[in-house]
Amino acid sequence: MSQSELTPNKHLDEITLLLYVERQLDRESAQEVSLHTQTCTKCLTLLRALDRESRLLTRAMFEQDEPLPARLAEFQATVKRSMNWIWGVVFGLAMLGIYALYTGYIEPWQQQLEQAGFGSTNLLNLLLFQGAFWKGWQSMFTLLEAVALAATMGVALFAFRRYVRRGSTLAMMFASLGIMTTFATPASATEFRKGDTVEIKKEEVVKSDVFLSGDHVRIMGTVDGDVYAFGQQVDISGHVNGDVFLFAQSGRVSGQVDGSLRSFANNLTISGTVEHSVLAFNEVINLDSNGKIGRSITVFGETVTLDGKIERDVLGFFKQMAVSGTIGGALSGKGQSMSIGGGAVVGGPVNFEGPKEPSVASDAKLAYPVQFKLSEHKSYNVRGGGYYIWRVIWTGAYVLLGLVLISLMPKFAVETVRAAENLGASFGLGALVLPGVVIASIVACITVVGLLVGISALFLWVFVLISAEVVVGAIVGEWIMGKTTELWPLVARMAVGIIAVRVVTSLPWVGGWAALAVTLWGMGAVSLALYRRLQPVMAPNIPSVPMGPMGTPLPANTTVGGV
Amino acid sequence: MSAPGKTEPLELIVRARTGDTQAWGDLYREFAPAIFRFCRRAMPTREDAEDATMEIFMKLRDKLEQYDQTRSFTAWLYRVAANHCWDMLRRRKLRQGKETEDVTELPLECPEPNQLEKLIEERTSEEVRKALDKLGVRARMALVMRYYSDMSYDEIADALGVRRAFVGVVLLRARHELRQALGENSVLAAGGIR
Repeated sequence: MSQSELTPNKHLDEITLLLYVERQLDRESAQEVSLHTQTCTKCLTLLRALDRESRLLTRAMFEQDEPLPARLAEFQATVKRSMNWIWGVVFGLAMLGIYALYTGYIEPWQQQLEQAGFGSTNLLNLLLFQGAFWKGWQSMFTLLEAVALAATMGVALFAFRRYVRRGSTLAMMFASLGIMTTFATPASATEFRKGDTVEIKKEEVVKSDVFLSGDHVRIMGTVDGDVYAFGQQVDISGHVNGDVFLFAQSGRVSGQVDGSLRSFANNLTISGTVEHSVLAFNEVINLDSNGKIGRSITVFGETVTLDGKIERDVLGFFKQMAVSGTIGGALSGKGQSMSIGGGAVVGGPVNFEGPKEPSVASDAKLAYPVQFKLSEHKSYNVRGGGYYIWRVIWTGAYVLLGLVLISLMPKFAVETVRAAENLGASFGLGALVLPGVVIASIVACITVVGLLVGISALFLWVFVLISAEVVVGAIVGEWIMGKTTELWPLVARMAVGIIAVRVVTSLPWVGGWAALAVTLWGMGAVSLALYRRLQPVMAPNIPSVPMGPMGTPLPANTTVGGV
Repeated sequence: MSAPGKTEPLELIVRARTGDTQAWGDLYREFAPAIFRFCRRAMPTREDAEDATMEIFMKLRDKLEQYDQTRSFTAWLYRVAANHCWDMLRRRKLRQGKETEDVTELPLECPEPNQLEKLIEERTSEEVRKALDKLGVRARMALVMRYYSDMSYDEIADALGVRRAFVGVVLLRARHELRQALGENSVLAAGGIR
């Protein structure tokens, strides 16, 4: 503070007076202010006003205008302590649930796939390295990047959900998506052909991926790329240098496929050569005696006949399988019956799980003896104690999930429960979302641009599917114990509700239908709450703040920047 | 610095440190209303204030070991509360994509003393509390730290992450915002009288 500021003709600035009132000035400056205000009425008045303002602020803040909320009055450190054991139990149950999931589903699959010669130690490797959906390292990285980015975008979208309404945020997100898509490996040009009968003639060479759709699809020529074929009848007698994705009522491969074959068809016959692996979801699949598969085959079908040559392994889930060809690796299967006919050669172990032992012809050449496992016939109405123990464990896991979800998103949790009260809309929307999102995601995935959207939507769908029981649990709990919007009471109601829901869904005969209803209801409620969240909301009625005119000259005693 | 009417609960603190549940309950009962009121003034909504109060007391269980018994417990507790609330608000602002407000160097126009006096005389405590709700988070937090918690300029500077020399400016700007909210239709609202 300079001496010139303290002359009677020049008033003190407000910050100096405030610092004086607040006793923040050094002794010398404070004395100068004191001297000045003895002779300057205007500064003295301002000084007093600032002091009174301080006291008004303190009084306003200290006044007890509202009592301690009941939620806080009930909250005691001891409560938290007593809750610890519950958390321990719930975490324990959740861990058991995860263990059950792993040992019950993931591990057996992994083992079967490894036995089938897919050699890798995990499913991701299977898909990325040995599957032909993603070709080469570049594609693999693109997939991983895409999944990672999609997940990140999903999390970001959720975190910024309240602000997504803003145009700038939306623009930023769409711009990011745009940039992400440019990072992806540029797809080669894809040729599209559509008609009643679509053909690639014998002498014709297509130098790109090709997308064929028609009642009758015939490939007699050469394709230097991948083939996506949709039709009633698809016949490949030519040469495909890439992979084949076949969606047909009846498919036949009599030519050569240098890549892999992925088939979703009623009937599939392979009498030609597939250099890489085959993945087939078919009612009937027939590997003709002239047919040859360079690597492994994984098949899900009703009737499987393998008369041709398979260089590596076979993994099958079927009703009946007949093998009379040559298998270089292991043969693993699960189904009703398996027969290994005369002339069959199997170089690796043979494992079969079914209701009866496989029939093996005496002249079949097997490197190892057949390992047979009798499949247990599980009756729906005869349940062992283990079933109910696991139901309890899963109940704990769902309660834990509910706790996490409600703690992370308390407001959204309440909104979802309120949405679930609207039964008609919830069920209707659930019935739409349950199949609709899956179909839309698949459609998105098989189109060139929509992979990210498809995968993200599927992730979200799975998440909502899992959360459905928690939502229904919360509303059922509210029916039992009364409504609430507070955190812990809502958690308690959710836990009680989930137990009730699990009891009902465990009942014989009606349990399955109840589970379906719970899924529809819960998914619908989450979707409805999400929909409402994303609706534009009118801004609250905040009075506008009057603005001072721009460019007004500063008064004489105005300070800039502080002390 | 201590909240009015509060004596230092040293015995309770010592017992609470040893894990005495009863002592914890007593500490909570004694200080929860004041901390809730602090949070209520500092946070934008009642729900936020309730959440913050519970979190502060949960945090206190771990932090109590750090408390220096030679200093005021109440002051220390308010500092913990202030830091927690400011962290919550700052994280929220970051999540919302709004950058932390900087201390701007826009000029503040000096109010006409008589009109300021009149404004202060006419306003009730309740009106001030309502006006506080309309302030920006930094302005409100600064006022609450200073006039509710009685925190020093050094402590406020530390908590808000500004230089000590700017604390006065932050408080002054907060008062201007408050006056604007209090008397939106008066001449003071537009930045004061020349």
